[in-house]
Amino acid sequence: MNLGLKDNQGSSKTKLEERGTEYNLKAPVTGAVTINNYIVVSFGDGKVRFFSQDNEPFVVQAHKGVILSIAGIEDSVLTGGEDGRFLKISDNGNINEIANFGTQWIDAVASYKMNYACSSGRKAYLWSDDKETALTLDNPSTVGGLSFDETGNRLAVSSYGGVTVWEKGNRRWKSSRFVWKGSHGKVTFSPDGKYLISAMQENEIHGWRIRDKTDLTMSGYPSKVKSLTWVGDTPHLVTSGANEAICWPFDGKGPLGRKPICVANGGNQNATFVQALPDENAVFVGFYDGSVLLSEIDETKKSYPIRSQTGYEVSVISISSDKKYILIGDIKGNVLCSPLWAGEL
Amino acid sequence: MQTSEQVPVTVLTGFLGAGKTTLLNRILTEQHGRKYAVIVNEFGEQGIDNDLVVDADEEVFEMNNGCICCTVRGDLIRILGGLMKRADQLDAIIVETTGLADPAPVAQTFFVDQDVADRTKLDAIVTVADAVHLNSQLGEHHEAEEQIAFADVVLMNKVDLVDEVGLENVKSRIRKINPYAKIIKTTKCAAPLDEILGLNAFSLDRVLEVEPDFLDSDHDHEHDDDVTSISFVSEKPLNMDKFQSWFGDLLQTHGQDILRSKGILNFANKDERYVFQGVHMLMDASPMGPWPKNDNKNSRVVFIGRNLDKMGLKEGFEGCI
Repeated sequence: MNLGLKDNQGSSKTKLEERGTEYNLKAPVTGAVTINNYIVVSFGDGKVRFFSQDNEPFVVQAHKGVILSIAGIEDSVLTGGEDGRFLKISDNGNINEIANFGTQWIDAVASYKMNYACSSGRKAYLWSDDKETALTLDNPSTVGGLSFDETGNRLAVSSYGGVTVWEKGNRRWKSSRFVWKGSHGKVTFSPDGKYLISAMQENEIHGWRIRDKTDLTMSGYPSKVKSLTWVGDTPHLVTSGANEAICWPFDGKGPLGRKPICVANGGNQNATFVQALPDENAVFVGFYDGSVLLSEIDETKKSYPIRSQTGYEVSVISISSDKKYILIGDIKGNVLCSPLWAGEL
Repeated sequence: MQTSEQVPVTVLTGFLGAGKTTLLNRILTEQHGRKYAVIVNEFGEQGIDNDLVVDADEEVFEMNNGCICCTVRGDLIRILGGLMKRADQLDAIIVETTGLADPAPVAQTFFVDQDVADRTKLDAIVTVADAVHLNSQLGEHHEAEEQIAFADVVLMNKVDLVDEVGLENVKSRIRKINPYAKIIKTTKCAAPLDEILGLNAFSLDRVLEVEPDFLDSDHDHEHDDDVTSISFVSEKPLNMDKFQSWFGDLLQTHGQDILRSKGILNFANKDERYVFQGVHMLMDASPMGPWPKNDNKNSRVVFIGRNLDKMGLKEGFEGCI
């Protein structure tokens, strides 16, 4: 890795801040996805901005009110908002309304290639195989999170009391319930599809080995875990919620009975967002005060400052698909967009 | 430096037909230039005129935190989290609950969820009571008692339909359950809005303001299911370790029956006053500056709940001296 981060003494700015562009966009940054070479960012005022390396971002006024969730699909993004609209926005700015739930918020959206889903209240809606109409998936309580696995043939839907996995069969999607007491939010499959993980309302994450539904409880966090990312070949599940990034090993027999690796210490404040550096064993860790560190998943290595504090918690870190640039956003609308690597300006 | 100010949240309770929607519409039409979000329940009456009405479904979650009665409103965590992502700052949020709702999970959400506590604050629980029907409702539904017990403000509504004697009866019934709530008599919920909104009733500072009431020690008991209140005063300083141990055990064992608790405490060898306020098993406490010069430094505690006479409260409190 050569991100040109060393020899930073004497400047209050980090190297990435020196070579990047700062924006204040006056609304909380709520999410980001990558499509083609864009990083597409959603905001609390209903706007979507397409950032690219060479041009100023272009803006699309998509929703009235907060955009609560965003996912990428081919050359477009899918967004769900407070205004009850589920939209598909293409990279030329065209907006296509897929569904409208009126006063019901759309809390979560997810996609995998041509399959996509959104949730509103207790129901999740799944569009698959080019079908025009959605399959309605009922849940015992409000959906906390949605995620496809890396084949697109399974959709995890979390809610109170557990996670339901919908799997595509020969003729229809079949469900299987993974039960654990408490309220489940953000949900993710491990890259190999063997584990299912959810972030809970309590200060812990819960996992299941899908084969036999063995429970994995990963607890001890001082605050709620709001962000999860899979890092490296092992892989490690890296999580926010503590004053350093907590990295659980998922090789071999998984994290059962093993200690996590802890990297990127933020002092007396907690991490709020984590994002893998693709194809490397390293993670970007954003904190409550807006600062961001980069660290390898190795407790013997030191971490590098990527962004100084802004005073507001990091809500988004995104790396472009070509890995050429990074975007960091906070809950106050401060955005840094910067070339990732040194010497490529 | 972090986020802007916490947005105050007013919780509106009361039985169906008591006048919650009337009050909501008054708040929304009279407070010109202010931006309110209103979180309504799915069974609510129609006709609330605001572009920021959010449907909620009152999902009550149990927390796995070892606290057996700790329930929170999952939908509130989600909705308040969403509202905090808005670009424009809200002046206040009003949460309407269904007529039969227990106010505890709503209040507990503000104690339990860190994100909610960081960005919003519970301002007050306002209960609209129907002066005509309250007496019978109190006998039939324990939720009605709980809504009165939890209230910081009780709007005794429809007073034009009840005679003087009837009103006094209703008022004394409310007082018996909750001697510390402010009672406002209204017709069509026509109360000054500054007596309903922006009260900061859950701030620990406000515990100090109910001081005069603490002195009336009231030991009135009806049958066991009734919600009552009880208070104690000590002129002698308390032992901090003894108090913490007694109070901690008390909330662990009887937290389900103790709806609300408040107190001002004078600990031996401490210069500052300590105040606390609790909802069931959850409690918030901190030192609150020095005692006023002419204060007699009496410790005062109050409990509102059920079966209070079976908790050995008097002996327990006196054991802390």
